[in-house]
Amino acid sequence: MSNLVILPILIPLLAGAILVFWRKKLMVVRVGAQLVTIINLIVSSYMAYVILQDGPLILETGGWMAPYGIILVGDGLSIVLVVTTNIIAVASAFYAPNSLDKGREEHYFYTFFLMLIAGVSGAFLTGDIFNLFVFFEVLLMASYGMIVLGGTKEQLRESIKYVLLNLFSSILFVTTVSFLYSVTGTINMAQLSERVGQVNQDGILTTIAILFFVVFATKGALFPLYFWMPHSYTKPPAVISALFGALLTKVGIYSILRVFTLIFIGNIDYTHTFFIFLAGFTLLFGVAGALSTNNIKLIIAYNIIPAIGFMVMGIGIFTDLSVAGAVYYLIHDMIIKAALFFLVGAIAIAAGTSDLRKISGLIKHYPLLGWLFFIACITLAGIPPFSGFIGKLLLLKSAFANENFIVAGIGLLASLLILISVIRIFVQGFWGESMSLPTEKRSIKPLYFPISFLLFFSILLGVGAEWFLPHIQQIGVDLMNPSGYVDAVLKE
Amino acid sequence: MEILMSILAGILFATGVYLLLQRQLLKIIFGTALLSHGAHLFILTMGKLNRGAPPILVEGIEDYVDPLPQALILTSIVISFGVTSFLLVLAYRAYKTNQTDNMEHLRGNDHE
Amino acid sequence: MLFFSILAPFIAACLVPFLFRYKRTIHTGWLVLPIPILLFLYFLLQIPNISGGNNIHLIINWIPSIGMNLSFYLDGLSLLFTLLITGIGTLVVLYSIYYLNKKEKLHNFYVFLMIFMGAMLGVVLSDNVFVLYLFWEFTSLSSFLLIGYWYHRERSRYGAFKSMIITVFGGLSMLGGLILLTIMTDTTSIREMIESKESVINSPYFTGTLLLILLGAFTKSAQFPFHIWLPDAMEAPTPVSAFLHSATMVKAGIYLSARLFLLFGGSDLFFILVTGFGLLTLCWGSYMAVRQTDLKAILAYSTISQLGMIMAMIGFGTEVAIFAAIFHIFNHATFKGSLFMIAGIVDHESGTRDIRKLGGLMTLMPISATLALFGTFSMAGVPLPFLNGFLSKEMFFKTATQISPTAPLVDQLFIIIPVLAVLGSIFTFVYSMYFFFQTFMGKSKETLEIKPHEAPIGMLVSPIVLVTFIVVIGLLPNLINEPILAPATAAVFGTVPEEHIAFWHGEINTPLLMSLAVVVLGTLLYLTRKKWSHVYRLLPGVLSANKAYDAVYEGHLRLSRKTTNMYMTGSLRHYVLYILLFLVASGGITLVVTDGFAFSTSDVAPISWPEIMVGIVMAIAAIATVFMQNRIAAILVLGVVGYGLSLLFVFFRAPDLALTQLIVETVTVALFLLCFYHLPKLDTKKQSTGTKTVNILISASVGILVTLVAIASHSSKRFETIAHYFIDESHHLGGGDNVVNVILVDMRGLDTMFEITVLGLAALGIYAMIRLRKEEEID
Repeated sequence: MSNLVILPILIPLLAGAILVFWRKKLMVVRVGAQLVTIINLIVSSYMAYVILQDGPLILETGGWMAPYGIILVGDGLSIVLVVTTNIIAVASAFYAPNSLDKGREEHYFYTFFLMLIAGVSGAFLTGDIFNLFVFFEVLLMASYGMIVLGGTKEQLRESIKYVLLNLFSSILFVTTVSFLYSVTGTINMAQLSERVGQVNQDGILTTIAILFFVVFATKGALFPLYFWMPHSYTKPPAVISALFGALLTKVGIYSILRVFTLIFIGNIDYTHTFFIFLAGFTLLFGVAGALSTNNIKLIIAYNIIPAIGFMVMGIGIFTDLSVAGAVYYLIHDMIIKAALFFLVGAIAIAAGTSDLRKISGLIKHYPLLGWLFFIACITLAGIPPFSGFIGKLLLLKSAFANENFIVAGIGLLASLLILISVIRIFVQGFWGESMSLPTEKRSIKPLYFPISFLLFFSILLGVGAEWFLPHIQQIGVDLMNPSGYVDAVLKE
Repeated sequence: MEILMSILAGILFATGVYLLLQRQLLKIIFGTALLSHGAHLFILTMGKLNRGAPPILVEGIEDYVDPLPQALILTSIVISFGVTSFLLVLAYRAYKTNQTDNMEHLRGNDHE
Repeated sequence: MLFFSILAPFIAACLVPFLFRYKRTIHTGWLVLPIPILLFLYFLLQIPNISGGNNIHLIINWIPSIGMNLSFYLDGLSLLFTLLITGIGTLVVLYSIYYLNKKEKLHNFYVFLMIFMGAMLGVVLSDNVFVLYLFWEFTSLSSFLLIGYWYHRERSRYGAFKSMIITVFGGLSMLGGLILLTIMTDTTSIREMIESKESVINSPYFTGTLLLILLGAFTKSAQFPFHIWLPDAMEAPTPVSAFLHSATMVKAGIYLSARLFLLFGGSDLFFILVTGFGLLTLCWGSYMAVRQTDLKAILAYSTISQLGMIMAMIGFGTEVAIFAAIFHIFNHATFKGSLFMIAGIVDHESGTRDIRKLGGLMTLMPISATLALFGTFSMAGVPLPFLNGFLSKEMFFKTATQISPTAPLVDQLFIIIPVLAVLGSIFTFVYSMYFFFQTFMGKSKETLEIKPHEAPIGMLVSPIVLVTFIVVIGLLPNLINEPILAPATAAVFGTVPEEHIAFWHGEINTPLLMSLAVVVLGTLLYLTRKKWSHVYRLLPGVLSANKAYDAVYEGHLRLSRKTTNMYMTGSLRHYVLYILLFLVASGGITLVVTDGFAFSTSDVAPISWPEIMVGIVMAIAAIATVFMQNRIAAILVLGVVGYGLSLLFVFFRAPDLALTQLIVETVTVALFLLCFYHLPKLDTKKQSTGTKTVNILISASVGILVTLVAIASHSSKRFETIAHYFIDESHHLGGGDNVVNVILVDMRGLDTMFEITVLGLAALGIYAMIRLRKEEEID
């Protein structure tokens, strides 16, 4: 028992609620949000320290024992993702005041933002599948609030699609939970793992597993379920795109990772092979999307998809190494996607447009922006020693070792195409003849701090990989042996 | 009874999905309402129906219906109510801003 | 110290921007120059160690969890390359000080150059494959940045982009091969891999691994058909071309092939591929060089062809061939480096590199012309005792006639190897002569805008040093044999060679005859070149790999756009349709494949008519909503479904639910009614039958799927539910008799708390949506 586990959820929740009352006092709200995210980062880092030292932290909320009450489980995977989320939260809290307009800030942006963080952290920490649904709804509702914020024509147009598709998958989610409850009589994830294992995950459970996969894959933007994503993610302001790109789809991936390492592992020949197959298509189609457009925000949004492909490939291959690779890639991708959205947001402010055909020669006026972007590009493409390489290496190695040559080949090819898709922005937008810059615009100087903050972690994850990798590899081993999780929850 | 209820919920799903595939926003929202009804019926059906008293403890009665699905449905109903209201206002705003409620006119790909 | 030698250029790269800022008066090059000089001296001092067989090895743990450690190893082969990198590096930096104007963005230039130097040293010193890959990609990236140095020029951007795509492509392929090697040998150290060579050779992945790694080597070393990036890379400032694109980086592929020679060298495939592509590249490159009119383009194709020649020698795989390859790596760096610098001087002093506009520069630039004379004649392999190019060229001929083929296929083909060798060399002779005579001899043209004059002495120092090497090594080749060439060959081949380099072997042998044939035929071809000009234009035509590259590049963009636009229609209906199709297909197939369907009526509640009646009414109402044309009617019918549901909740003993559903339904209907005032009338326009059929089919299948899964789930209740606990404990632990309430507020209080959060957020969202209406903004 440790009440610590709920803090990463509770702190932003309460702060978000309180900030509602100061909506006109923007200075208070901004600084408040910044302080809260920093405190939350410190708390969750401390938790990570405790968990990685002493094993999972369990909280039986309300004192109701597992499997009856809602259990929060802080295991290695959950906590590293919570910490990563809070790193992004801190950066966003500093990016938002310097990029958003006053209207959006006053209309509860910070509340939505903090609630989103609470929802995401909750989704990572909960050990109850219905409670996972509830946290999904929290983060989705917060995201709905954000995506419509400002209410421009295009924003509203894409929000409708976004809300409707997510609504549909939520309904499917809750329905599938009820099917699972019918078969197993429980909704506690540890007990589910136990019970599904006891009946060797027979046919109906595999079907239910696939339904869960469809739900999570829709949220996680996997081929062929991601079509709603790129446009809706790019219409709101950059900081919101960054939060969406870095956090929302990743919650879907986390859920796949959790559910298909903890609960549904009885028929991996069928389910996980299917994942590898989809991962290949996701890689290819995603990167094709990134190459298809000249809108710099869209290029980044499309690049979310091949990254998802890499992670699902790791889940599909299903070895200690590949799962560890997926986790490493997940952490890397959350940070670098946020950084890239921040960067293109800054580019769009500097150039006054997101149309790459209209941008050129920016490096003359914004050399720092250019080089930060360049580093972000090669990080994304997985060039060592930056963070993308480590996860990709683990994934490729496990793919080769398991003779999944085709998907490994696709992974290599996709890496090249990813690099092309983003370096195009550098070559066309930063190089070339200097363009005439918009006369009236905000300064992008304050944006350098959050961008560099994220890139710092990104580089740290690569160069200092040895500080993290043993833990991540341990997480991989733990995920592959769910009995540890089950014992921790059920036999406290 | 559970079988029949499953079929009924299935019908609600099918009609909900059919409406979801329509062009007009209002119809689509009707669809989501039908879908959540279907989902709630499924949850209830998946606990055992009618085997016992309502889950309000009374001295002397041993058998009660499964209370957990009911609790889950309650949570779910409230959430879908929140989402539906939000969606309705969104639909209204989108219609006002874009001057159409036909989703086929809201594709917006020509901007790229 | 070894580690520091790699680090030093990187540190310098970090410092340059600061130095640049504070010391604008001094040319940044002077500040950078000490680095390569010191490194060169350091490596020079290692010669006795290495030739004495004391290789230096150093390991620093970095990421041991994936075996990625900073493991550096200095042996003969590495030493040769380090000397080239730092030696030529010194000369290039010196040369660049005079070549580049102080007004340019020099800090960028020297940062990239230093990054490159460090990365290149890393490539040739790394024993760890992943660290090797790291530095390998860094050379590609720094090359990209250097080619794009004058980024306002379209051609520079094109060239930079192209070179990066091709070399990173190769790098990734190499990474795949290296990963396979680590899997086979369970080590990340190249030397340990070579020790467990058996497990590589006997592996089923051997062929694939070899292909992947060679792809990396070929792209980097500009082998046909991947050579196309090199001519475009000539957009880089000339010092860069001399350094990266002739002396060092392009030899990384050769280095890799040589480094892994002990691993792959025995295989027929290695022989066929490396020899084959090497010779092909030799001929194609020299043939293409003849067609060029730009001085740097001639040199670029010449570099390609020379790289092919070295590659071919590594492919031959005999001890002498390896020795000759090593020797030629060295020689090529001297004469090609000097020629690039001369081309840069000519460009700098006359304002053009177009050979058609040049001529008669001998009298105006006598020193440069003399230097060029040595360079070109050495490159052409003219049999003169003071040209190093001839020596290695003749060894090439010798090895070409001496290979002992092992594969049966090769047995038939190996006769053409000497023929191709001679053919390629003839063209080499032609363009060398062309380069020299056209530029420096003949009449001076009046078309030049500036009057050419001799370059400042600072610019001439570097080529003079290189030409000195040409002559000294030409005269005394064995000066570098013992200390450098032999250890390098030993490192590649495994045994110390007993080769003695000589100009005259005391007899007229085949190689000498081949050399003479090259000179004679080459002279003829050069003198009559006007008559051949139309022949040169025949090839490559459509065969051009450049066209293929452009087509592939444009094609993949077009394909991406096409496929993406195909499914990214923006239509909500399509998006929903895809998701539903996927749902039905994957769910349905799984249900069938895993035999998951079950049907059992053993554990069901009895059927009661009131419930059935309500159910039927709901079903009819649900279906009716589909057909309703009138908004109010539709909303009311929808209400029927909702109220029916609360009635069912009553029947099914769920009073709290019924109550909640009743309230929520009422409010929802009210909301709908409120909203419909503002939304337009229902669309009565008919849909096409096709659309309709699809919609009906798909929605029916979704309905059927969920129903089947529901029935199956219900029929396969495997466990007692956890519900008994709630009923047992509600009263004395939860303190309430209404179990559902106890669950909500207590046992699952967290759910309820966040459900309220969702409601709150929805309210905030609605408020914000209504209050805040922004005008269209820049997107």
